[in-house]
Amino acid sequence: MSSHLQITHLRKRFGGLVAVKDVSFDVADGEVVGLLGPNGSGKTTVLNMISGALLPTAGEITLRGVRISRLRPDRIARHGVARTFQLVRPLPSLTVAENVLVSLAFGRFKHWGPDARDLAEEKLAFVGLGGRGGENVANLTYIDQKRMELARALASEPALLLLDEWLAGLTPSELQIGIDLVRRLQSAGMSVLLVEHIMDAVRALCARCVVMNAGEIIAHGPTETVLKDPGVVAAYLGDGHA
Amino acid sequence: MNTTVAFILAAAALAGLAIAPLFLNAYGIGLLVGMTGYVVLASAWAMFSGPTRYVSLATVAFFGIGAYTVAVLSETLPYPLVLLCACAIGLTVALIVGLSTLRLAGIYFVIFTFGLAELIRQLVTWYEVNVTGTLGRYIFLPFEGIHIYWQLLALAAATLLLSWWINRSRLGLALRAVGDDEVVAAHAGINVSRAKLMLFALSATIITLVGAIQAPRWVYVEPAIVFNPTISFLTLIMALLGGATRLWGPALGAIPLFLLFEWLSANFPNYFSIILGVFFIGIVFFLPQGVLAKIEGLRRPARKAPPENKERSGAA
Ligand SMILES: Nc1ncnc2c1ncn2[C@@H]1O[C@H](COP(=O)(O)OP(=O)(O)O)[C@@H](O)[C@H]1O
Ligand SMILES: [Mg+2]
Repeated sequence: MSSHLQITHLRKRFGGLVAVKDVSFDVADGEVVGLLGPNGSGKTTVLNMISGALLPTAGEITLRGVRISRLRPDRIARHGVARTFQLVRPLPSLTVAENVLVSLAFGRFKHWGPDARDLAEEKLAFVGLGGRGGENVANLTYIDQKRMELARALASEPALLLLDEWLAGLTPSELQIGIDLVRRLQSAGMSVLLVEHIMDAVRALCARCVVMNAGEIIAHGPTETVLKDPGVVAAYLGDGHA
Repeated sequence: MNTTVAFILAAAALAGLAIAPLFLNAYGIGLLVGMTGYVVLASAWAMFSGPTRYVSLATVAFFGIGAYTVAVLSETLPYPLVLLCACAIGLTVALIVGLSTLRLAGIYFVIFTFGLAELIRQLVTWYEVNVTGTLGRYIFLPFEGIHIYWQLLALAAATLLLSWWINRSRLGLALRAVGDDEVVAAHAGINVSRAKLMLFALSATIITLVGAIQAPRWVYVEPAIVFNPTISFLTLIMALLGGATRLWGPALGAIPLFLLFEWLSANFPNYFSIILGVFFIGIVFFLPQGVLAKIEGLRRPARKAPPENKERSGAA
């Protein structure tokens, strides 16, 4: 069976640095897969290549059998890939609702007009920002900007969602809300590739994990097995993470 | 409701402006022509540069193309066809330039557009001297100032209407997103290059038309007159002063500044360029968002300024 997202022999070189070397894995339909690894191991670079922000040096990425590597990011978005950014990137001259409207208007289904306004409000309510669409994004707290960015990603009705440390920086109670949000997406059938450092969240959400170190996959499999892997423990400890 | 009232007011103002020259002498009409010309130039400039924040100094390249097209074709083709040719040439140049440069970011785009205007001026000069063997050309069209004014006024109304419509459209939202963060815009599904190209071409075509319509005013044109870079700088200053992201901003910047610059160039012709430069620096330093935004900011003092734009072209 052809999987949802399939990554084969992916490689990215920045000048003399090979940030991603021969990475292959896949994400099945409706699956939430964790992508772990110490800082600088190449996780964000992998997401950037999936979303089209960066061109791979070599390798292929397919979504439902369609090759998306080498497409422009807007084409990839319209194929059903959406993402959040490790450092939030709100559109500051747009209101909160307009930030979400952008994805509605140009995403997979091109909503516009009153119908799009309603959908934007619906997405904002889903992430806990109901009724705040008229606000200036600069007035949102960091966490609320993260929520808004998730609403913006969801507004394009993606088939695959890429979350880059979306849960980082949340308080314990916010973290629980965040985990529940991702769970609801999962039960709605969305596939998610979750880059995350918070192990509780990874355990709660991902049945399967891929662990990278220095651009290479060092472990791959069921979450509990992978997290006990001596190589994985060493990579994290070596980088100062517990 | 509000929109209806605004439209009625705008239509009444337009009617008033249309009959105004009937009560003015030739000098007054001349001022109206210049002022309306700059209202269109600044509004058309802001149509692209306002939301995207790409600062273009190519205004005079297109303005000059319009004027020269009229100078070359006015004897051989009927006037409406001449205007159509000018539009077609302006549009073609804009598409070529846009395709090759809209990937440039920030200062590189500014420098390129400035260079483009100079390049076209030199090309026209070279062609006239070496191929046609003349430098200047005469334009004999049976237009008086008032006819030119009416054409420009119609173009101004059309331009503002178009800007208003774009602002409310999906394209307007796309451009504002692109101006904030091209990477995010692209990831939301916006074809960034196409959105920029469309607006750049539209803006350039309107600017070309201004040059074409104003050309008969000069009677005699040569490259140094119609490709004068001051036109680009004035347009930019006017749009920035009024506020390039507002519908009425560029027009409100253009009117007082045009009158001021008229007065300055009449009274202090030798210092005109220096004063222009000081003005430019002053506006960029003190009113980067324009006067309208400043006034709104005074009314709503609690509003926080948006955070600095993150690196706009870098990958995520
Ligand atoms: N655009 C870029 N240009 C040059 N080097 C980069 C770029 N993006 C990432 N890198 C480098 O690639 C390596 C992997 O980075 P990244 O993918 O961000 O790691 P992670 O997300 O796992 O922390 C790092 O050494 C980083 O400095
Ligand atoms: Mg990262």
